[in-house]
Amino acid sequence: MQKIKRISASYGLILGRSTLLLSLILVTFLGPLAASAQVQTKPIINSTLTGTVINSRTKSPVEGAVVHINGTTHEVVTDREGKFNFVTGQKFPYTLFVSLIGYKKKEIVANGSPVNIELEESVSQLDEIVVVGYATQERRNLVSSVSKVSATETKNLPVAGFNEQLQGKAAGVQINSNAGIPGDGIFVRVRGTTSINASSDPLYIVDGVFINNTSLQTLNTGGRATSPIADINPADIENIEVLKDATATAIYGARGANGVIIVTTKRGNFNTKARVSFNINQGVASAIKLWDLESAEANAEVMNVAWINTGIDKPSTNQTFANRPFRPVSEGGKGLPSEQQDYDRLNDLYRTASLSNYDFSLQGGTSATRYYFGLSYTDQESIMRPVYFTRGSFKANLDQKVNSFISVGMSNSLSRSFRNQATAGDGPTGNMMVSTLNSATYLAKNAADGTPIRWNGWDNLQQLLDNYNTNTKSLRYIGNLYADAEIIPGLKFRTSASVDYDNYNESQYWNTNTVQGSAPTNGRATSGLSDNTTWINEQTLTFRHRFGTKHNFGALIGNTLQSNIRQRTSAVGTGFANNSFELISSAANTTSSQAWTKGNLASFFSRLDYNYAYKYYIEVDARADGASNFGKNNQWGYFPSIGLAWRLKEEEFLKNNSVISDLKLRASAGYTGNQAGIDNFASQGLWTGGASYFDVAGTAPQQLGNPDLKWEKTRQIDAGVELGLFNDRINLQVDLYDKYTSDLLLSLPVPAVTGFNTYLTNLGAMSNKGYELTIVTNNIRKPGFSWQTSFNISGNINKIEKLPAPITVYSRDWVRMQEGSSMYSFWLYKQLSVDPANGDAIFEDVNKDGSITVADRQILGSATPKFYGGFNNSLNYRGFDANVFFSYSYGNDVYNLNRFFAAESGTRPDRSVQSIDKNYWTTPGQITNVPRPTSVGNNYLIEQNSRMLEDGSFIRLKSLTLGYTLPKKLTSRFKVESLRFYAVGSNLLLFTKYSGADPETNVTSNQNAQGLDYGTPPQPRTIQFGLNLTL
Amino acid sequence: MKILKYILSAAILISAVSCKKFLDVEPRSSVSDEVTIVDGPSAKTALNGVYNALASSDYYGTSFQSLGYLNGDNIKWTGSQGYLNQFILHDVRSDNQALTSVWSAIFQTINRANHVIEKVPTVTGLTDAEKNRIIGEAYFIRALSYFDLARTWGGVQISLTPTTSAGDKNGLIKSTQVQTYAQVLNDLKAAEPLLPETVDRYHATKKTVWALRARYHLYQKEWADAEIYAAKVISDASNYQLLAPFSAFFANNARGTKESVFELYYSATSTNGHRNSWQPGENGGTRQWAPNDAFVALVNDPLIGGNRNVLVAKTGSGLWYGNLYYRSPATDPTYVIRTAELYLIRAEARAQLNNLSTVNGAASDLNAVRARAGLLPTTADTQNAILLAIENERKIEFAEEPHRWFDLVRTGRANEVLGITDANKLLMPIPLNQVSANNPQNPGYN
Repeated sequence: MQKIKRISASYGLILGRSTLLLSLILVTFLGPLAASAQVQTKPIINSTLTGTVINSRTKSPVEGAVVHINGTTHEVVTDREGKFNFVTGQKFPYTLFVSLIGYKKKEIVANGSPVNIELEESVSQLDEIVVVGYATQERRNLVSSVSKVSATETKNLPVAGFNEQLQGKAAGVQINSNAGIPGDGIFVRVRGTTSINASSDPLYIVDGVFINNTSLQTLNTGGRATSPIADINPADIENIEVLKDATATAIYGARGANGVIIVTTKRGNFNTKARVSFNINQGVASAIKLWDLESAEANAEVMNVAWINTGIDKPSTNQTFANRPFRPVSEGGKGLPSEQQDYDRLNDLYRTASLSNYDFSLQGGTSATRYYFGLSYTDQESIMRPVYFTRGSFKANLDQKVNSFISVGMSNSLSRSFRNQATAGDGPTGNMMVSTLNSATYLAKNAADGTPIRWNGWDNLQQLLDNYNTNTKSLRYIGNLYADAEIIPGLKFRTSASVDYDNYNESQYWNTNTVQGSAPTNGRATSGLSDNTTWINEQTLTFRHRFGTKHNFGALIGNTLQSNIRQRTSAVGTGFANNSFELISSAANTTSSQAWTKGNLASFFSRLDYNYAYKYYIEVDARADGASNFGKNNQWGYFPSIGLAWRLKEEEFLKNNSVISDLKLRASAGYTGNQAGIDNFASQGLWTGGASYFDVAGTAPQQLGNPDLKWEKTRQIDAGVELGLFNDRINLQVDLYDKYTSDLLLSLPVPAVTGFNTYLTNLGAMSNKGYELTIVTNNIRKPGFSWQTSFNISGNINKIEKLPAPITVYSRDWVRMQEGSSMYSFWLYKQLSVDPANGDAIFEDVNKDGSITVADRQILGSATPKFYGGFNNSLNYRGFDANVFFSYSYGNDVYNLNRFFAAESGTRPDRSVQSIDKNYWTTPGQITNVPRPTSVGNNYLIEQNSRMLEDGSFIRLKSLTLGYTLPKKLTSRFKVESLRFYAVGSNLLLFTKYSGADPETNVTSNQNAQGLDYGTPPQPRTIQFGLNLTL
Repeated sequence: MKILKYILSAAILISAVSCKKFLDVEPRSSVSDEVTIVDGPSAKTALNGVYNALASSDYYGTSFQSLGYLNGDNIKWTGSQGYLNQFILHDVRSDNQALTSVWSAIFQTINRANHVIEKVPTVTGLTDAEKNRIIGEAYFIRALSYFDLARTWGGVQISLTPTTSAGDKNGLIKSTQVQTYAQVLNDLKAAEPLLPETVDRYHATKKTVWALRARYHLYQKEWADAEIYAAKVISDASNYQLLAPFSAFFANNARGTKESVFELYYSATSTNGHRNSWQPGENGGTRQWAPNDAFVALVNDPLIGGNRNVLVAKTGSGLWYGNLYYRSPATDPTYVIRTAELYLIRAEARAQLNNLSTVNGAASDLNAVRARAGLLPTTADTQNAILLAIENERKIEFAEEPHRWFDLVRTGRANEVLGITDANKLLMPIPLNQVSANNPQNPGYN
């Protein structure tokens, strides 16, 4: 790097952002040079060839097949009728190669025109084209571990983000939908969690653009955050690849440690007629189940019991039977429990929601141009009022061949996501779920005169529903402009410039009918404008050549410059004249704030790969990254990897084996890094200017500097087997991996006597060991009937290997990270039983000192599943198609805070009682696990009781799709190429022991706390009907 | 291949541009800690930073204050945060999250004061008087911080230098409570000559130092000194008065009244969250805690509460709540030292010295406070009776300020009044995550 630095110094005047321009100049300038280097001759026509390509099974024409004459660069693409047409200087006979994704490659000798070519559908995954970092490969040649998901499988699932649609689809990818709120953030882990303070989310790349995956949300919606991934329209996506092992991810160096998700959007095909497609669907969503709350009578009864018991245990409270809250009105009470009326709030809040989706696309191409235009609108209501998500998006992908060796192109996606939001989760005011779920069922909604009543300081639900006014508009552009030049055959130069821009506009208004806006506040308005801009410039030079007949060699070098700026301006106004005024300009009091941050990244990367006769493979990848947010002493990081593969099937002893149709062994090892989520100025010792007093500016220490700060480093070893049996009727893929992350970017707690609480340093280690198994079987493959089954299972064991001191997370320290245990572990007092004699909770006295103290808290359970995966069946029978998909998760625990924040057997006044907790101890000899209601003693004073820890394992029928495609004979009369009607159901069935509404839940966007169920709506059961029309 | 060479070198050239300048990005909302207190203006802003920490929500904003009254016997817990109930039930655990945040906030204040105390003396561009004032105020705040640590936790590690690296304080050994209190006196003695003898109710002056010394000597049972220092402030009668009625010092958005010796300033841009824990939902609060029935009865008793019944108010649905902090936007000041406290300090000191007189004696000071509350003079006439009367007067007068717990602990009355039989429980446990070999847990906790 020293040398490069010296060069840079001498060219210091040229700024980073001008590199795109330079690169473009370079290409246009070098283009003619390269052209002049080639010998140009007048084309000679020696033969004209026409032909038709058809599907060997269905005998229908195949569109988009690429026909290539051996030994030339000339190729054409079949049209909608499967026809192609060649005019060439070659003389008959010559060899044609015909290829298309999803079909076996065909080699045919053309002796004359016309030719009829039958393409056989490929059932083998080996022919699949897989996108890897900066390249594509056929799966048979893959040295690394990559999962591929075709968007057609998932795009109709009614969730906002494509990542959420991947649940259960790819081995090694754990996805947890945190709440049934469309467009909200979800939990995604590729091969486990690697970090505590940096992000453990994978790197997302869309059409070559490293996109932002960190929510810009600043409004409080109960602890949750929106997902920037939801800005991307799944209908525009062609394929999603998940890169998992070191060989696959090391090319992304400092950002590869958490896996990489590469999204490829749809593009047109050269030489195809314009095709217009519509996909329209409409549907409804409803809750699979809601919470079981006890009746008003039972709810009131427990209040009395707790009241009286507390009085017995602590007479000074003066709580007696005589003054119990639910005594006859004549005695000054609220009436006997049996006189209480039931009030159902859940039904006021939850609804049958509507879903609608409209996708329109136009794609096609000429000999030099191909295009894809997409226009979509989706509207997803949450089953929880008044929340909904809408997204309108526009997509334009264009590729243009400038001449035979230069092409340019662009990808553009523009979307506007609108979210009508509401708080559901943690927090007392403005909170839909607290006002609903936690309110005792005997609490009246309105006073006798109709005035809405607020209880417990919470909002009145109906007033919230009528007056909620919180929304966010996200305007997102993701675009990429590239130029490719084939300098000499086999050597390609590519330069690109990319932008990811997100303008995030939040607004909230609490009028005087809400707690937050009522007097003395008199209306509270918040407006926040954030924007996040990422500029990327990238160059790659790739070389691929076959030396002799058996030595296949490839090389890649490249560089990236990336700059990210995030800024925010916000204002809050209070004191409005009346509810007609909502803009901050009308507020009596206003405050405002501004924030700005920037991070730059410079990278160099390379790949060398070689295989001998497609038998023995070796691949070496490396990346060097320099980041502005690291200390001057460790600004650059280096991430190498090596991968080996052996295709045994190519060996003589297996070549003719009729059972084993493919066998490949893979192994890889390497290093990747992680820095995501770390503050851009984390390594600097800083003072803040925000410590004012007496309305005069003040300064104060903010953070301690650490010039040695550097990346987290993950070492990963992977071994894999890919096996095909019976002519690839059965495909099996197994991977074992071992990831070890060291130098964790740790916000290390420091003794408070320093004046600081934490200090960011590289300390600690975490490991992830796991397995992945995918089986795909083609059970039936006949003309008119096919049946494919796929199954995947993954298990990951996460362990915090080194951590100097335990770190607790979330309120009441429910979650704790400590050496030797796994992430997302709960730190609780273990309730062994309830003493049948007196109803007291008996906790495990771990240190046997005779009293229950903090020393008796222990790690009990974890939100991490032991294994998870999916099971899919797809069937096609003539025009009918069906797909049944289950996803599952086993061994994950959930801490049920909905129970905790309920009445706690009457020790929290005026709160609801969940049915699971109704069986509280009342009489000697009673066997129960719910202690005697009393506010005195450990029964309910201990807030970290293992009683609330539940098994969150589940199997869900994630989706069921049924479709019927009208016979072509019929539709072609109306100039319709294809017309399919379908129905999709999601979350139709849920099998779980969990007592709450949905075991897949989490209240907080704090990445270190998972499996905390509090106040989030469940994922809905949905049914949609739709049609696909292609003209 | 020549072309390839061009491209390669061009690509390297283009990308290499980045390396140096590209990776050098500076923040805009913060500055490097190498250039912080360098001249007059930066010395003044750094002092504001110390006050800012003192006024932060975990220290004198809300949390520290709540330790003082929740541990007492006037307040009940009415919210969702059950760990607060540990204070009320006198069963505090070392993993109580409020303890941890108070502890951190106080040491953060100390570190900021240490920066001022160490760096300002070498700064140029300030007159000696200005310099002394700045350093003196920092000494005062540090004294108050250690005082609060000592009375809450007993002995603590004493940090007197600014922290420059994470390992800076690794060698510090926990001091005893006596040593910690000694540090308080050292700092007060250092502050006194540096500060001007002026009146500033929002910043420390010589008079603020005297007021805190009065309280300090009271806690040390140094009755004569307590009386002297209390008298020094009270005698400035034109500036420090008991305003009548009781509500005059806080109602109707009052601030900086003559009642106030030292109060912390909040404004619409830097608010005081204290009201949120007191006010009911109707008023935009969470009513995390509220006056208990016994206190409501006492304060509403015209012979005991007098006009101090304004400390409580009732919601439409009949729930009582504390109403000392009520403003919107939340600009309520924090009353750190009030004139009433100095009267009651002097009353107690005089009573201990057996000067019970109704003229320049314990009874006269006590009666001054009672008269302001609209009450008749005390009928207590023995030493014990007067001391108890003072204790009970403080219970009502400072019901929503951080006194009751510390009063019962320092007078040894916690067992009798609160029923705390285990003397270890008179000190709070060291927060679990702060316990180390150098900072062992207080006896009776783990």
